[in-house]
Amino acid sequence: MNGLVLENVCAGYGAVTVLHDVSLTVREGELVALLGMNGNGKSTLLNAILGFVRPSAGSIRLDWEGESTELSGREPHRVVDLGIGYVPEGRRLVPNLTVEENLRLAAAGRSRPDLKDNLAFCFETFPILAERRRQLASTMSGGQQQQLAIARALMTSPRIMVIDEPSVGLAPIVVDQMIQAIKTLQSEKNMTILMAEQSFFQAVEVASRAYVLAHGRVVHAIEHGLDADAIETIRKAMMGVD
Amino acid sequence: MEFLDLITNALVSGVALGSIYALLALGLSITFGVLHIPNVAHPALMIAGAYAVVFANARGLDPIVAALLLTVPFYALGIVFYEFYARAFEKRGRGNTLQSLTLFFGVSLVIEIALVVAFGTDLRSVEVPYVGRSLEFGIVLLPYRFLVPALLAPVVILALWLYMTRTYSGLALRAVAHDDRALSISGVNPVSIKRHAFGIATALAVLAGAALVITGPVDPFAGRVQIGRVFAIVVLAGLGSIPGTLVAAILIGIAEALVTAFLSPSWAPGVAFAILLGTLAIRPSGLFGAR
Repeated sequence: MNGLVLENVCAGYGAVTVLHDVSLTVREGELVALLGMNGNGKSTLLNAILGFVRPSAGSIRLDWEGESTELSGREPHRVVDLGIGYVPEGRRLVPNLTVEENLRLAAAGRSRPDLKDNLAFCFETFPILAERRRQLASTMSGGQQQQLAIARALMTSPRIMVIDEPSVGLAPIVVDQMIQAIKTLQSEKNMTILMAEQSFFQAVEVASRAYVLAHGRVVHAIEHGLDADAIETIRKAMMGVD
Repeated sequence: MEFLDLITNALVSGVALGSIYALLALGLSITFGVLHIPNVAHPALMIAGAYAVVFANARGLDPIVAALLLTVPFYALGIVFYEFYARAFEKRGRGNTLQSLTLFFGVSLVIEIALVVAFGTDLRSVEVPYVGRSLEFGIVLLPYRFLVPALLAPVVILALWLYMTRTYSGLALRAVAHDDRALSISGVNPVSIKRHAFGIATALAVLAGAALVITGPVDPFAGRVQIGRVFAIVVLAGLGSIPGTLVAAILIGIAEALVTAFLSPSWAPGVAFAILLGTLAIRPSGLFGAR
């Protein structure tokens, strides 16, 4: 099976352990929501997958086409090369480069035809970026910057996209568009996505499955279909009521 | 008529001087402006470069040709040094400025002492056919020992600017100034880009050294008077701006030449800082700096 598999991951900063025994799976073609309130370890988990935070225990594996690659312990740029596209919290674009330069930067070491295809794909998915390709990233609106951050991840030819809180700092109407754009990537472009979100209702509306993180542990894993019962369970788990 | 003479010559020599200053500051505009490493050893490296050029010149090589050849070993030296710096400082505690400043101050002393031990404290110079002659153009009189390095600077700056704007690794270099993580996310190793940048900056030091030693003889401590000036230029330009470096340096060059001509040469070294303070009061990000 193709996918990303986390088994018993523990991680933290210095003496503080944030993640305790986290296990989860993202299968090819799924949009998996990682839910939880602020400060429960969502970003730490994504940072651990990317290699910005080094797990103290457990394994993070990318299984793809019969090959199994351990990601934990690798440097972030290697993890990206291995097929994890990352859209970080706060977007982390290069403000003094243009839209197109930001995208080209992410085409590191890829062949020219790949670069052209990926760029065309990005511009087709987010037409506003094509329109503003020569504009500095810093001069774009929050929603456009978020699109650019997603497009940049697409430029790295990812097998799995990891998206951290795409709704943060955006107006409600833009949040809807963003979540729909991510859904479209999964349903129409067949991308595999792990998305951390706080805005619960929007996330469960589009997700194939969901995990709820509380105090650094997976307290609920909804493995099959998000029906009304499952959603109610997740909501309670997120709020901390049983 | 004499006033016109004086001011025209001050302006012309100011532009030439500024152009040379730009070359001296260019390496620092990468280490300090882009990598945020306070490399106070840059002028000392430049003098080491000047000595290497003198050495090659004594064996019959033209100083500029020698400097171009020497960029290769200096690039390698820069890479080795950055590797040491990154391991010793940036990995732990993420490069405390005061610590790095102390390190580079120490490096600069070590370079100076090494040059004294190897070559003594005598002034060293290069021999080129054009030294001692001047270009005369109407009322303008400009010695070739200024004109030649002054023409070298824009060529080097143009080459560097093309590299930074037209190549893939130039793009990465501009990005690293802002955010390491943005590079990692793009699948680029930020450490290798920084190492490469430090190598380029060190290679630029040898070109600067050649320019300096063509204008006049150097001793092992000749870099010291340049430390304040090159930092002033880089900050005035706006951190990391390559074309800005040329403009800021020429501004300072002209001001120094005017002060020298009309006031007194003793005031000239203070001019760079006066302009810097004045500019920073109005534009804290420098002339061409992005905020």
